[in-house]
Amino acid sequence: MKMIVHDLEEAGEISWLREFGAGQDVIGSEDAVIRHCTGCFGCWTRTPGTCVLKDEYRHLGARLAVCDEMILISRCTYGGYSPFVCNVMNRTLSYVLPYFRTLEGQTHHQPRYEQAIRLTACFYGENMTEKECGTARSLVRANALNLGAERFEVSFYDNVRQLKEALA
Amino acid sequence: MKIAMINGSPKGGATNSGFLLDKLRPLLPREAEISTYRVGPKALKEEDYDELYRTDILVLSFPLYFDAVPSHLLRMMTEMEQRRPVDESQRTIRVYAMVNNGFFEGDQCKLAVNIVENWCERCGFHFGTAFGHGAGEMFSSLGNVPVGSGPLKNLGFALEHLVHSIRSGEHAEPFFTQPKFPRFLWQLSSTRLFWHGAAKKNGLKPKDLRRRPGIPPIRLSPPENDVKR
Ligand SMILES: Cc1cc2nc3c(=O)[nH]c(=O)nc-3n(C[C@H](O)[C@H](O)[C@H](O)COP(=O)(O)O)c2cc1C
Repeated sequence: MKMIVHDLEEAGEISWLREFGAGQDVIGSEDAVIRHCTGCFGCWTRTPGTCVLKDEYRHLGARLAVCDEMILISRCTYGGYSPFVCNVMNRTLSYVLPYFRTLEGQTHHQPRYEQAIRLTACFYGENMTEKECGTARSLVRANALNLGAERFEVSFYDNVRQLKEALA
Repeated sequence: MKIAMINGSPKGGATNSGFLLDKLRPLLPREAEISTYRVGPKALKEEDYDELYRTDILVLSFPLYFDAVPSHLLRMMTEMEQRRPVDESQRTIRVYAMVNNGFFEGDQCKLAVNIVENWCERCGFHFGTAFGHGAGEMFSSLGNVPVGSGPLKNLGFALEHLVHSIRSGEHAEPFFTQPKFPRFLWQLSSTRLFWHGAAKKNGLKPKDLRRRPGIPPIRLSPPENDVKR
């Protein structure tokens, strides 16, 4: 299964997404109100593996653990994800352990689960700058390393139409 | 000179971002008019945005989340971009950032700093400079250590770097550092004292932290056929 996190409500692309995401775990902002992470580390030290905030998004770690791919579809925002996609990412902290390991000479998390995901990020937006694309590429790479992903892929589209054609 | 300091940590109580702001404040020009804001899960008020647009200098102090800016602060940044005054004669705001992260190496904050720089470009702000400081969760245990000595030696350099740029108005390349402290000792104490200590307080054993909760009932997208019907 794939987890598809997107912000396409704003782009009015929900019907396309229903088809594209049929049978997958699709996470969009219209499903339920999402709360921001409060940085309490409760998902590591109070209810390990589950966020303590009581909303629809508290089980994201376990949900990701049954997926082989995480697809992020996001408006490129200053070289990162849009606030909603970023919010979902922040709420998946429970997917990894608080413990450390060293990868490429730097500290990263130990995985909680045995499975590994592929991380695919599709950024869209008009007039993204070179610098923003560079930041976004490095960000997905860094996220992949921290999430223990086995592979990652990043692509950019000038608009949602192009993105849809590429994913079709 | 008006300076707005934003604490972008969403935590209740003491925060590492707040620690950095407390250390910065006495180093700022004495004549500066300083106001502080807290950006957490609760959004800023309309009048806060108006005030932010009337400031000369904006200092963002925030924790690194997933190698980037935390979502609540990012939301505030996009709101601020949308509220840009149409009047082009507005004064130019200079932006500074102090990022602290959980891992040891401060240069893991680099991409968050890049995001702040890209935001400045979109909003027409001047990016002054920034620093990233690793092992942020150590700060709470170093409250009595003078900045510039012991494990906070490098923080002294980082603050100096920021303050020099604030005072001179000159742009400087971002600076990344971490406590002057052995990494293996940091790792050992983070695991044994910080994580295991927190687990114990919550009545859990170290091995409980490795739990793998099962799949809860989730709402999958309906199969394609259902949609077409
Ligand atoms: C959701 C979440 C994501 C985080 N991601 C990272 C990360 O990618 N890299 C890192 O070094 N620390 C990460 N941290 C750790 C925080 O940056 C660190 O604990 C920081 O010192 C908190 O500062 P504060 O007290 O100002 O909130 C993360 C923490 C949370 C809650």
